[in-house]
Order: sequence, then C-alpha cells, then structure tokens
Amino acid sequence: MNAFFKHLWIQFKMDIRERGTLMTYYLIPLVFYFVMGAVISSINPLASQTLAASMVIFAVTMGAVLGMPVPIVKMRESGVLRSYRVCGIPGWAVLCIQSVSAFLHLLVVSLIIFVTAPLFFGASYPQSFIAYFLSLFILLFASIMLGLLIGVVARSQPIATMLSQAVFLPTVMLGGIMFPASMLPEPLRAVGRILPATHIMQAFSGLAYGLSTDIDATLSLLITAGIGIVATGLTVVRFKAMGKSG
Amino acid sequence: MAESVISVQGLIKRYGSVAAVNDISFEVKKGEVFGLLGPNGAGKTTILECLEGIRKSDGGTMSVDGCDPQSEGRKIRQILGVQLQSSSLPEAIRPGEAMTLICAWHGLSPRFDLLGHFGLDPQDKKQYCEMSTGQKRRLHLALALASDPTVVVLDEPTAGLDVQGRAQLHDAIRALKATGVTILLATHDMAEAESLCDRIAIIIRGRIAVTGTPAQITSAGHAETRITLWTKRHCLLPGKDIGGARFLKQAEDYGIWLCRDTASAVMELLKEVQMSGDTVEDLRVERPSLEERFLELIERGVQP
Repeated sequence: MNAFFKHLWIQFKMDIRERGTLMTYYLIPLVFYFVMGAVISSINPLASQTLAASMVIFAVTMGAVLGMPVPIVKMRESGVLRSYRVCGIPGWAVLCIQSVSAFLHLLVVSLIIFVTAPLFFGASYPQSFIAYFLSLFILLFASIMLGLLIGVVARSQPIATMLSQAVFLPTVMLGGIMFPASMLPEPLRAVGRILPATHIMQAFSGLAYGLSTDIDATLSLLITAGIGIVATGLTVVRFKAMGKSG
Repeated sequence: MAESVISVQGLIKRYGSVAAVNDISFEVKKGEVFGLLGPNGAGKTTILECLEGIRKSDGGTMSVDGCDPQSEGRKIRQILGVQLQSSSLPEAIRPGEAMTLICAWHGLSPRFDLLGHFGLDPQDKKQYCEMSTGQKRRLHLALALASDPTVVVLDEPTAGLDVQGRAQLHDAIRALKATGVTILLATHDMAEAESLCDRIAIIIRGRIAVTGTPAQITSAGHAETRITLWTKRHCLLPGKDIGGARFLKQAEDYGIWLCRDTASAVMELLKEVQMSGDTVEDLRVERPSLEERFLELIERGVQP
C-alpha cells in the first residue's frame, strides 16, 4: 500500500509538470468555465442556476475523456508499461494510479468551479449538498472509466484522440450542459441519452437542485453509475487480453 | 565448476506460423557474462522477453536461479534486473523519483547510491525527456539493479550511445561482473561481445549456430589468419606462395599472405627473408575476428 501511495504522489506531481495534462485538466476547462459563466449568466439567468453542475460536467468530461486516453496509449507505445512491468510494477497498479490521480485533479477543478460559480456568476447553491457530491463522484467515476477504456482500447494515439472526440463532442452538444436537452430534436435527444453527461445533468438538476427533469433523476444517476461499471468491466477484460498477448 | 543460473531448454516461440525462436537451448553459469549475438530479427529479444516473463513461450523450459519466469512472475522480479532494448519512463519523471518508485514497489529504501554510481544526481530536477540517451541508459541500468538482482539482462545496452557513453557503460558492466552478478547480454556489436562476454551464442534465424568463448568461436571458423610483412629491401615482392603461406596481394610496401597454420607459415616467411639477406621492418599477424566468423556463419546459414 505504501508503494501505491508513493507512486500516486509521484504521478500527481508528474501530471502537474506535464503541460498537456495541465491544459486538459485545469487550464482549458477553467478558462472555458470563466468565459461561459460570464456569457450564460448574462444571456440566460435561469441557466446560471445549474451553472456549477454543467461546467463541472464539462471539465470532468474534458479531463477524463480527452486528457486520460492519449497518455495511456503513449505509455504503452513508448515502452513505459513494459519498463514498469520488468521493474516489478504491475500494469493494473499503473492504470489504477492514473485513474486516482485524474480523480484528484478533476476533483480539485470541480471544487474550484463549485466554490466560485455562486461568487462570480450568481449560480445557485444546491438544495442537497449530499446529492450534489454523490452525483459528482459518480460523474468522476464514470468519466474516468470511459477515459481509461478508450486508453486501453485505442491501438494508437490518433485513434485514441478520435475516440475521445467521438465521446466528448456529443457530450458538449447533446448532453444538456450548454442548453437544455429538451430543446434538441428527438433523434438527437435519443443519441444524447446514451451519454453519461446527459444522465448526470438530469441527476444534478433533479436530486441536487430540486428542478424538474425529463428523465427520473435517480434512474439517471444509476444509469451513469452503470455506464461507469460497464466501462470498468470492459477495461479489465481488454487489459487482461493485452497482458496475455504481450 | 560453477552452477548454472540460467537454463533454457528447447525454447520455442512462434508468431503466427513463423518460429522466431526455434528449439533453443543454453545455460549460463553463475557470475558469467553470456552474450546472445545475432543480426536484427534473429530472435535475441524474443528469447530475453520469454526469460523476463513478459512473453509467453510456445514450448521448452526455462529456469532463472531456480525460478520459472513463465509461471512465477512476481518471484522473477526479485531475481532479475532488466534493461530493455526499447524502454522508457514517463517524460516528466525525475531520476530520483524513478528510483523511489521502483524501490517502493520492491519494498526497499530508495537506492540513490546507484544513481550516483552511474553518474546521475538523485537531486537533479532534470526530467526524463530532458536527459541524454546515455543518461537514460545509465538510469535504466541503475533501476535494473535497484532490487539487488542475482541476474541482469541487458538488451542492446549501448545502442545509440556515443563513444564516451559506450565506454562508460562497458565499465559499468565490467564493474557489475566483478560483483559476481550473472549477466545475459544481447547485442549485435561484435567488439562489445568480444570485450565483455565470457561466452557467446550466435543466433541466426531463431536457432543457435554456435556457442563458446569468443576465442573458441573465431578459431572454429574457416577464415584464415592474415600475415602482413614489410621487409627493408622488398625481397618477397612481387609475392608468391611460400610453404603454407598463400600470397594474397601487395599493398604498397607490404605483402599479405593467408594461412591456416600460423606458426609454420611465419617461420617459413622469416626464413625466406633471412636467406635473402633482407631484414624485417614490420610484421603483423591478424587472427580472423569474431565479426568475420559471424559473417561467415550468416552466409552459411545456421550450420556451424
């Protein structure tokens, strides 16, 4: 356990030193949040109610789905995983540490947004803090597991980028975080329902902020958690298969 | 006689229908530096990867210090220190952090002394991506030794290094051998193998073509010894065959002969010089090199 935490601490510091990781985990989501926060709060004061939640979904999805997969593929391609393995560091531990480190970074960003949104943009505090943080943790879990899955499935860095974009762009456009999903045409709403962002937005709105939702908020929370569990299972299967073929 | 630390018997590894390693057997004794030599694609790295337990073999048995690398993955990491041919670390990691990490997973205190031993500063803020190729190689070697392994596997350790970096790494390998560590070295550099290895196996197309000391391997070849001779009055030029010495060519003031029985050929040439009342200015005897023997084996396929 000592080795795991030492490794985690080193990984956390390395993430901060890596410009690419710093950009996708912190800089771009926070800049986007401050710009969009200003825009949304001035043009649609109602949307600013759930501004913290929608911007947290954006930041977490960006960090986990865009930020995690490429470094994982890079570690595989450049021989880092093999080097670790022959030095006695198990592959599963490397993936776990990547995930926990991402979790901590994205939690920090989420807390920055949660604290500053009411102060800077007049966003509402949630009615239920417990529901808010439960939804946040499930969002972090599902997004990180999706990022991890893309990282172990993609055969090369360009494919990882493509798969990440295939999840991230619909999340932004169809997930109900920029504008209500109910405004979308039915076919696009149907596509949006397969994304964790859509469901977690419903969960935040319904459970944390007490707003009316299109889908049952508790069911949405469970669906998001389910997506995370399925992604975890697929990651484990894929990673084991990689180990056998290696 | 020293005990065998590494034993490989009938190792087979296939990629699809291609046998990359085809029924290979060899043993490495305690404290020995054993070289695996072969052209690119001969199967050297595959043999090492099977021994390291990172690639599953398709047949045969292996043992490293009594441990089966294919089934005892955790135990083998305590015994074996590995420097991979294509190894890397995260770009942002620092040498001290890398050592801390590896030692933590082995349940040890960080071996910063090893970094110092290989000319790396544990306090250095330089990240892995900012290090030179030589520094990276030395770092990987230091990491391979972190768990005090009894066996060290080095796969092309000096590939891509400059002359100075190569010499430093060779010194490090010699120092390692002096401590009694058994070393398995894969290389396609003949000079490196000749200067570092106690015994060598030449691998061609997944099979061992020949095994022995560098001297045994070179002497077992069909290449002839070369005698180069310069006399003051050029009494032997233009050249001709003299006894067992077969004249090859003239190069400026030198005559060059080839022979199999070196001692008698030299005697006969010198006798001829003496009889002509001439004197020797320069005499060189060059045995066939490991490289020539290696090329000879490659040209002839796997038959020794």
